[in-house]
Amino acid sequence: MMAAKPERGIWLRKLVLAIWGLLCFLPILFFATIALRPRNEIIAPRPIYFPTLTIETWAKIMDEWPLITYFKNSVMAIAGSVFICLLLGIPAAYALARYKFRGREDIGFYILSTKMMAPAAVAIPIFVLFGQFRILDTVWALMLVYAAMNLSIVVWIIRSYMLDIPPEIEDAARTDGASDLRILWSIIIPMCLPGIVTAAVIAAIFAMNEYLFTLIIASRNAYPLSVALANFSGGSDGIIYNAIALVSFMAFFPILLLVILIQNHLSRGLTMGAVKG
Amino acid sequence: MTDVALTLHPAKRTLVRRSPFMRKAFPYFLLAPAVIYLLGITLYPGIYAVYRSTMTGKFKLEYAGLQNYRELLVDNAFWTSLSNTLVLGVVTLSLEFFIALTLAALVYRDRWVKAWRILFLLPMLFMPSAVSFLWKLLFNDGRVISDLLTRAGFITGNIDFMGSTVLARLVLVVTDVWQWTPFLFIIFVAALQGMDKEVEEAARLDGASWRKIFFNISLPMMRPVIAIALVLRGIDILTMFASVHIITQGTPGGNTETLSYFIYRTAFKSFEQGYASAASVLLLVATIILAQTLVRRFFKSGVE
Repeated sequence: MMAAKPERGIWLRKLVLAIWGLLCFLPILFFATIALRPRNEIIAPRPIYFPTLTIETWAKIMDEWPLITYFKNSVMAIAGSVFICLLLGIPAAYALARYKFRGREDIGFYILSTKMMAPAAVAIPIFVLFGQFRILDTVWALMLVYAAMNLSIVVWIIRSYMLDIPPEIEDAARTDGASDLRILWSIIIPMCLPGIVTAAVIAAIFAMNEYLFTLIIASRNAYPLSVALANFSGGSDGIIYNAIALVSFMAFFPILLLVILIQNHLSRGLTMGAVKG
Repeated sequence: MTDVALTLHPAKRTLVRRSPFMRKAFPYFLLAPAVIYLLGITLYPGIYAVYRSTMTGKFKLEYAGLQNYRELLVDNAFWTSLSNTLVLGVVTLSLEFFIALTLAALVYRDRWVKAWRILFLLPMLFMPSAVSFLWKLLFNDGRVISDLLTRAGFITGNIDFMGSTVLARLVLVVTDVWQWTPFLFIIFVAALQGMDKEVEEAARLDGASWRKIFFNISLPMMRPVIAIALVLRGIDILTMFASVHIITQGTPGGNTETLSYFIYRTAFKSFEQGYASAASVLLLVATIILAQTLVRRFFKSGVE
């Protein structure tokens, strides 16, 4: 197909792909067995590749750690932040996509540039600010930070999908007497729903991943999954890897489902609309 | 519709309905909530960081002028963290770029491209903290890598990956490359798939090898996409934090400490917030300059 000598080319190509595939998959498989093995088989003098598989340890882990609460915190913080992003982001995206006004480019680029902000650079002020409002260690604080972090992405993704909608449709509605907000609500939003879903999923993934802000905000009650992991160590037991693996997969499966849902829009979402995949 | 004449002049009708001021102000109203929210989290912290960076003291604050900055500029730990950030960043980004581009080139006309894509995507779907623990276990606590290398006959005994600067940095690089190569891969595959098949066909009929087609046709056409992807990934790598916090904590001797970790450690472990704020301000200025130039340059085409 591709190479001058087809036979050899194809097999070499498949070999390279298979090797990378294994490099991706084997560590994940190993991690899965970590969640399924008893604690004494995790750190042994020599690593054990074929351990006894059991889910009995899960009961003990659930007993010792409030995994359900961690999961609930994650879901609440993420869902809330995505909601804020869409609420603020959709009108902003519409303005950038459809109106001509002074400063449009500057405002658009300002919004985009907040994506480039290093979390560490604003961590201290955010910590102090949230301390003054007495919302440290709450899900609300996580929600606000995640929303701020993702707003730029959401605006730019949705804007890109709005640009694809032919303006004639709006003009037709406008001649029929529909107001701008009405057009946004009943025409634009339904038509760029794939873009909105893509933006929401990407925002949810980044929120699930967030670590630095979460680490300084959550200290006891508000642990979501990403930072709860870092606290699974039990004195003499050291780091409790089977709990860590279990929680990792609790976060992995929902994200996998969401990503499969938007798989054909993924590249466009990750580049904020710049690459139409 | 009551008045037929108005439907023929849609623009006129809107003008009748709304005052000129409202007409002009409307897009600003749509943007205001988002912009105000973002200013709250960028402008306010920026101002506060500048203010705080002129103060010393852990609990009782005292005005100290530029003292924090003066100390910071002669602090070896600060400069080490800066150079670590750049070294780790360049190595990691180059590796991810090279691997992602190779895989994308090999896979984009494959019949099973969707299956490969999902398979290669999997590492990216774990939380960075989870991936950090996974590789901490493989390299360090579980000695899996040492064991595999021993079985393959390369070494005998255990390697202490946290004992040497090069190896500890290698662990951070591997962790990031494993998790985030898919990010670039997904984007590159999409860009290659979006390209005109007929151009390739024509070139092939003219006798061009796939190598020539890739380097002379596909790659040049991908340049804008590559630039955007590298900017996005590069910024993420320069703010590398979770893996440092979980795997190395800066060991050995601060040689894997990134700038983000330096600020975190100074502010939240040593509680020298004034000092850390000075570093934050410098980082903030650097990111603002970087963001303004990169964003305008590479996303420009997307705006029009």
